[in-house]
Amino acid sequence: MNNMSSWHGTQYQDTGWFGIVITMLLVFFILINIARAGKNKNLFIRRIAGLNAIDEAIGRATEMGRPVLMVPGLGDLNAISVQALNIFAYVSKTAARFGNPIRLCCGNAAVYTVAQEIIRDAYQSEGMGDRFDPDSVRFLSDRQFAFAASVSGLILREQAAAAFFLGEFFAESLIFAETANSVGAIQIASSTQSTQTPFFIAACDYVLIGDEFYAASAYLTRKPVLVGSLVGQDWCKMAGIAMVLFGSMIITPQLGVFSPNKISQTHSQTIEVPTTTGVVAKAPGEDLGAFEVHVGDTVNSFDIKDGKVVPSTVTLAEVGQKADMIAPRNAIPPDTEIQRLFQPQKDKTIKVTREDDPKPKKEDIVPGTDPDEVKK
Amino acid sequence: MLFAQVVKTFWNEASGSSTLYIKIVVTIIVGFAMIFGLLQLPPRGRRAVVVGATFLAGLFYVMLYLWPKPLPGIDASGAPLDHGVPRDFVESVGFWLKDALPVIADFSNILSTFLLGLGVYSIIRIHSRKLVRKQADWGFSVVLKVSILAKVIVGYVNYYQTHYTQGSSQLELPKNWGTLQYANDLLFNGLLQQMDAAMFSVIAFYILSAAYRAFRIRSVEATILLATALIVIFSLMGIVQYEWDSHIKQLPGATTGGIFSNFTLTEIYNWIRENVQTPAIRGIDFGVGIGALAMGLRLWLSLERGGASA
Repeated sequence: MNNMSSWHGTQYQDTGWFGIVITMLLVFFILINIARAGKNKNLFIRRIAGLNAIDEAIGRATEMGRPVLMVPGLGDLNAISVQALNIFAYVSKTAARFGNPIRLCCGNAAVYTVAQEIIRDAYQSEGMGDRFDPDSVRFLSDRQFAFAASVSGLILREQAAAAFFLGEFFAESLIFAETANSVGAIQIASSTQSTQTPFFIAACDYVLIGDEFYAASAYLTRKPVLVGSLVGQDWCKMAGIAMVLFGSMIITPQLGVFSPNKISQTHSQTIEVPTTTGVVAKAPGEDLGAFEVHVGDTVNSFDIKDGKVVPSTVTLAEVGQKADMIAPRNAIPPDTEIQRLFQPQKDKTIKVTREDDPKPKKEDIVPGTDPDEVKK
Repeated sequence: MLFAQVVKTFWNEASGSSTLYIKIVVTIIVGFAMIFGLLQLPPRGRRAVVVGATFLAGLFYVMLYLWPKPLPGIDASGAPLDHGVPRDFVESVGFWLKDALPVIADFSNILSTFLLGLGVYSIIRIHSRKLVRKQADWGFSVVLKVSILAKVIVGYVNYYQTHYTQGSSQLELPKNWGTLQYANDLLFNGLLQQMDAAMFSVIAFYILSAAYRAFRIRSVEATILLATALIVIFSLMGIVQYEWDSHIKQLPGATTGGIFSNFTLTEIYNWIRENVQTPAIRGIDFGVGIGALAMGLRLWLSLERGGASA
């Protein structure tokens, strides 16, 4: 390995360079469109219902004489929080114009300090700096459920008429949304966590899904830089779609359209996984099923389909670590029998063989993993 | 210069050494000088400094991502080495970036700690005002302040006793606990953790009420949502799934890969998960990722400023 050029950094090895090239391409798309946007002022942005409803929600709060609540989520000070605060700055400006009270609740101290400045700026830019109440931007708690309890209490005590939940939300999302619903508040929500979006859709009036959240600044302000960036994002998405289509076109003839071919006729296969333990299994059924290799807290899962081992793992353990346990998963048919576990002498492979499979070629067998040798 | 390959780097010094104290003093002086200098600058100059600092901070992480990470060295027996000696300029820079990473992370940790102080100050200020003016629900403010005070005092004294007193290691065992350790345990495990769990469990009821509203048949979308949810719920209910699948398997060809084999609850649920749910989530995540990339770029290059730009 020392003979390799140092320019072959670890992140460029294997297919790693491809991810970097794609990232650079996406960055190029965004920057080129930001540059283009200054010249072309008539770029189209489709209607986003959730953002159109902002003025309606604040107007309703003004009519009812009740505050507007804003929550930027539990996340740290990052791009998501900054984007949420940008939208809240727009909301605060509108609220300032109507003379409506606001409440911005933060679950992170860094976000709280930045929010203070941004909301003060928003009031000052409307010429209403004297109306800004520093206590309207509050740090409540950085503990998830203490924060959830505080925000819920605030919604109930102050009877918020409009609630904006934009940012990083986790399990507390439904507590906020249902509490705000119980006091009859109009709710506009968005979470960058795809697991929480369904909760918001079920409980809120308007939801910004996925990248609509990031499109909000451009949609609300129509600033060339932001609109150009949005067009760049669309180029990136088109590139992604093109790659998916290209990949599908390449793989479909290999698999067959209506009657999928067997991916592999080889019933015995050696795969490289970072562990030093092997397993030999016997499966009388159609499929062997699946098994797991435990290395410390990491569990690597493998499925076996058509005699081919398919790693379905999320995180692979470090090379050189030893497997603590190999366990059959529930998916393995009850009559599957794990014959034995054994330690290969010096390898990083798992050998998986079905008893009814043809015997693997001698050259395919990794030293120390041959079941016959182990039996002896 | 040697960097990651040796324990000592520019960024650290031996504990208690005079060089360490000199570096600390110099850092404090430079820090105050920077704050003073920034206050003296006109707004335009201040903005230039902020833009420059933002760019440099972002550049570090861009470099960390793009600059070739050093390849692991190997010893005579071929075993991988944790530390190696840089062979050229590229690897030297790679080691330097690797060394600087924890230092940069410490910067943000220190900043966060200061900002947490501001956050706590905000809580105390708001609730003190509420108390003094006897505003509505001021009793809750008393509870909050007493809780904060009690936990801070008990927590710090307990920390001191369990770390810096003689026989402190004995205090790890509950049988050696004194009143303070019991008080600390009561406040943290007995109260805080239980209240957290109570809030979390409330979600179960909220899921029910939200589901009731979402699944009412008001439109085509709500009906599809209801049907899909029912299938998924039934497929996860063992007895229903077993009964349904048993009946399906009695149909001709259901167990030999015929058309009816596709109508077991397990198959339908898997189809929904693999062909509807997962692609939708991946599509949303892809859009979110690109949005975050664009937002990050705009912030890094100071093309977007918070507040006034919105």
